[in-house]
Amino acid sequence: MQISIRNFTKTFDATTVIDDMNLTIRDGEMLALLGPSGCGKSTTLFTISGIHRMDKGQLMFGDRDVSGLPSQKRNVGVVFQNYALYPHMNVFENIAFPLTVRKDAKADIDREVRAIAALTHISELLERRPGQLSGGQQQRVALARALVRKPDVLLLDEPLANLDAKLRLEMRSEIRRIQLETGITAVLVTHDQVEAMSMCDRIAIMKKGEIVQIDTPADMYSNPRTSFVAGFLGNPPISFLSGIAMENAFSVAPIKLRVPLVPQEGIADGTQLKLGVRPEHFGPEGDIAVEGRIAFAETQGRENLYDVALADGSVLRSIQPAGRNWALGDTVRWHIDSKSVFVFTDDGQRL
Amino acid sequence: MTRNFATWPIILLLTVLSLPLFIMYLFLLVDTFSNTPPGSLLPNEFTLEHWRFLIDPTITGDIWKPTLTTFLFAASMMVIVVSVSATAGYALSRLALPFRRFVLSGIMVMHAFPSVTLIIGVFLVLQFAGLYNSLIGVILVKASLMLPFGIWIMKGFYDAVPWEIEMAGVQDGASRFTVWRRIILPQVKPGLLSLALFAFIDGWSEYMLPRILAPSSDFEVLSMYLNTVSDPNSSTYNFNIFKSVGLFYTLPVLALFVLFQNRLMNIFGGGTKG
Amino acid sequence: MRASSPHRANLLGLAFMTPAMVLLLGFFFLPVVLTSVFAFTNMSTATGISGGSYVVTGNLLRSLTDEGLDAKTIDALGQSNYVIDQAGLERARAAGVDAKFVAEIAERLKDRSFTSSSAFERELKTLPSRPTRVRDLKIAAGAFEQSVLNVRYASRGEMEAALSHMLENPPEGAIERIATASYTGWTWTTDNFKNLAIAPDTWRIVGNTVFYVVLTLAFNVAVGLFLAITTFYLPPAGSGFFSVLWLLPRITPVVLYAVMWKWFTWEDGFVFNIAQDLGLPAFNYMKGSVASAWTVVILVNGFVGASFGMILFSGALKAIPVQQLWASEVDGASRWQQIRYIILPQMRWPILFVTSYQTLSLLSSYEQIWLTTNGGPGSTTTIWALEAFKTALNNYTGNLQYGLGAAMALVLVAVGLVLSIVYLRLFRFDEMMSKPKIEF
Ligand SMILES: Nc1ncnc2c1ncn2[C@@H]1O[C@H](COP(=O)(O)OP(=O)(O)OP(=O)(O)O)[C@@H](O)[C@H]1O
Ligand SMILES: [Mg+2]
Repeated sequence: MQISIRNFTKTFDATTVIDDMNLTIRDGEMLALLGPSGCGKSTTLFTISGIHRMDKGQLMFGDRDVSGLPSQKRNVGVVFQNYALYPHMNVFENIAFPLTVRKDAKADIDREVRAIAALTHISELLERRPGQLSGGQQQRVALARALVRKPDVLLLDEPLANLDAKLRLEMRSEIRRIQLETGITAVLVTHDQVEAMSMCDRIAIMKKGEIVQIDTPADMYSNPRTSFVAGFLGNPPISFLSGIAMENAFSVAPIKLRVPLVPQEGIADGTQLKLGVRPEHFGPEGDIAVEGRIAFAETQGRENLYDVALADGSVLRSIQPAGRNWALGDTVRWHIDSKSVFVFTDDGQRL
Repeated sequence: MTRNFATWPIILLLTVLSLPLFIMYLFLLVDTFSNTPPGSLLPNEFTLEHWRFLIDPTITGDIWKPTLTTFLFAASMMVIVVSVSATAGYALSRLALPFRRFVLSGIMVMHAFPSVTLIIGVFLVLQFAGLYNSLIGVILVKASLMLPFGIWIMKGFYDAVPWEIEMAGVQDGASRFTVWRRIILPQVKPGLLSLALFAFIDGWSEYMLPRILAPSSDFEVLSMYLNTVSDPNSSTYNFNIFKSVGLFYTLPVLALFVLFQNRLMNIFGGGTKG
Repeated sequence: MRASSPHRANLLGLAFMTPAMVLLLGFFFLPVVLTSVFAFTNMSTATGISGGSYVVTGNLLRSLTDEGLDAKTIDALGQSNYVIDQAGLERARAAGVDAKFVAEIAERLKDRSFTSSSAFERELKTLPSRPTRVRDLKIAAGAFEQSVLNVRYASRGEMEAALSHMLENPPEGAIERIATASYTGWTWTTDNFKNLAIAPDTWRIVGNTVFYVVLTLAFNVAVGLFLAITTFYLPPAGSGFFSVLWLLPRITPVVLYAVMWKWFTWEDGFVFNIAQDLGLPAFNYMKGSVASAWTVVILVNGFVGASFGMILFSGALKAIPVQQLWASEVDGASRWQQIRYIILPQMRWPILFVTSYQTLSLLSSYEQIWLTTNGGPGSTTTIWALEAFKTALNNYTGNLQYGLGAAMALVLVAVGLVLSIVYLRLFRFDEMMSKPKIEF
């Protein structure tokens, strides 16, 4: 089921949280809504689910306008961040609840619940109360309950935020597996870029109630449209250098750095620019030399992480395979891979 | 709890302060089972005669009918308070209502507001409604006077239920009523139970309202019965019998209190506003 | 456009609110309205609470004389007329007067009227079939007697008609004046407030009320705090015992509680006996002296209220991180210093809260006083709420003055309303009203 949000505006007590948003989620895809805290991800999600009303705009499920319909009539499954299981019902009753309110036959309910429990690997837990389950198990129950009545859309609001690192890893692939198996259209809200990149077909990055870019994870990473997007994706994060345009090159005069600007369009000399260099594109190999001092070194096992302080005080981050090790305070002359850098205008737009 | 200080000075102080209460309640209990010679403080014989009123209606009049009336009174008032508070509290906590803020502040003012001041107005309302001197009238008044408190308490309990549970219910296709009935209500059971207990105890002990609003009706609650027994001018006046009747009257409340002390503690500080 | 309006009604919400609203309107809002309305009437047992009728009574004549109505009119009002009309004939027949005689009266005297019984009886004696016995004659005459005295007229019009019938040429405006004065129902007036303002008792009672509220409150807060802090330092068994003991007055039915205090302080009561044994003055402490009566009143109410403070303060105490206490002990603080510098400063809000809340309930609590000292000795322990209650609903003379009582209650209602609104602001309760999150 394709979902389209058109010209969506949402206001809480005179503060506009979402302003004229447009977003299309393709049938059967899993889309991540990624953005910093408070940018309006949950608001968007709750609007799709029918908990919030749109102040302006239109919401289409396929070619059906559902803007005015309450949750009960939208057939949307939601997994809440804290799972929102019904504490007084056992797992079976929790999962069966959507079917019992629909007044399905008892035998059907039993069959459906057991089927979905098998899919989510919680068949042995059906008699337990939510309070007797671990976080990951509660997560699966919530997922089962959201899926049991075969919703057209599955919405997940930070489903992994309350899990420990290992479980998170496991549930990431679990959720993706279940989504693929059921072929359901899904929206995942998260502020964790790794989660978004590893689980989803496409990512929509949000900032202050607007969608800044929507793309596949790979495109988003290698081709960010703004410095915000570039800064949001990637771990360790990209580092930025400030400079000016000088003779078709990005230039930082004090350290005599010149990086040619790839699009040869005339950019007025003296324009303020920002250069984004991902850590993997700064190291012993490369084409443009920069000299600096190791200001920070961290071993991550397979890789080492370095902060290199340049002469003017700015810092470039680098990630290098373990083996050849530099020590804190070493002076290094490393290179930037000029084909892989991003140049942004001062207000963050990619050139 | 810290253990660095001696406790005996505290116990001593507390005991002195509590002495009047302790003596009153101790003698209440002792006197019902004993006789005390005139002019003496201490009893000199054990007896069950003060409890004979339970089986012998000639002593103070039949006690079982007022007991039943009191039970009916307290129970119906409890049912009204709990059911009306359970619905109104939910509506105020969770549902969109016209003038919601206004209604809510109104209820808060009524909650803080000493309702007994309205007794004269209530008296007039009952007169006009033709409910003066009737059990139903007193029940309605008593329940209504307790409503702001009940609604407030219940709203507090509803407020503590996570919104997500409710959203999940709606998402699962249930109507708001079904969500309330099957998901939210079970979450506030402790609140319902506390409120019910509190309302029952309050209704069981009520004296003023029946006395003022139904002075000459044919139903008699235990508080009025007790007041008659305690009248020094009455022919059957006997202090120890009075104490026995009083203890008999208080026992159910005491039992509830002892059984549910922890629940009631929360609500006795009902002024905490939820 | 589906802009969400702030007043979007949820049908379920309306249905859920309706029972509560009906009851609250009926027994909160309406009483307030009625109290305010009737505060401006002279309603009492004598006037009834529904409409009245018009009656000229002997008392009224006397007070009209005092107010200077001329003697001739008063006289005339007191007089009887004898009118031979159809109604009179019916009455005569019903009274068993000889039918022949009645017929004669009808025939000869129809539509005549006499202003005195002697004139009428003289006329009757001239009739052929008059009864022989004087008593029968008087009965026959009595049947035709008409007087406004003690006759109840349903409307003002009827009363005025009767009056003009009775009075030959009344002075200007006299009829209206008498009719107004003869009304037995209640009337609108602001006298209640005027009388309250000038009555010397009013200020005494106000003084009593303030005295009572301040002292009881002080007792409640001080003892509540003391109990909370001491039980906090006690092992669970001890603190449990004392909290239950102090909660007992709150759950004991007030009738029993009041009589227990009587037993404690009355003549031949517990304290009485002890005092006697010790050679101290022994008397009925509840009513025997003003000082002892006040002490009893404050203790009776204080013991009920202390548990409220105790519970709230205990809650607040438990919220203090225990590390703070340990830290202070490590620093060498004595217990008193711990209380003074660690605990009390954190009790400010609970104390303020208990104070405000209890002020309101004490202002209007008269049940315990009513059942113990009943405001005595004299009216030394009478507080405003008790006086209002007695005036309107419970006095011995039997003439309940609803209007005056309502006026007194209205004063309390106003004070209560203002205070509760102030408290709501003070404690920012309006911040607890968040909007519903499900918007459909
Ligand atoms: N019911 C509400 N009333 C007023 N403001 C609200 C309400 N709900 C959300 N907001 C505001 O709207 C903005 C967006 O909130 P939202 O919950 O959508 O953020 P989010 O992107 O989900 O953040 P997070 O990652 O922290 O969950 C926030 O600034 C929040 O304060
Ligand atoms: Mg969120």
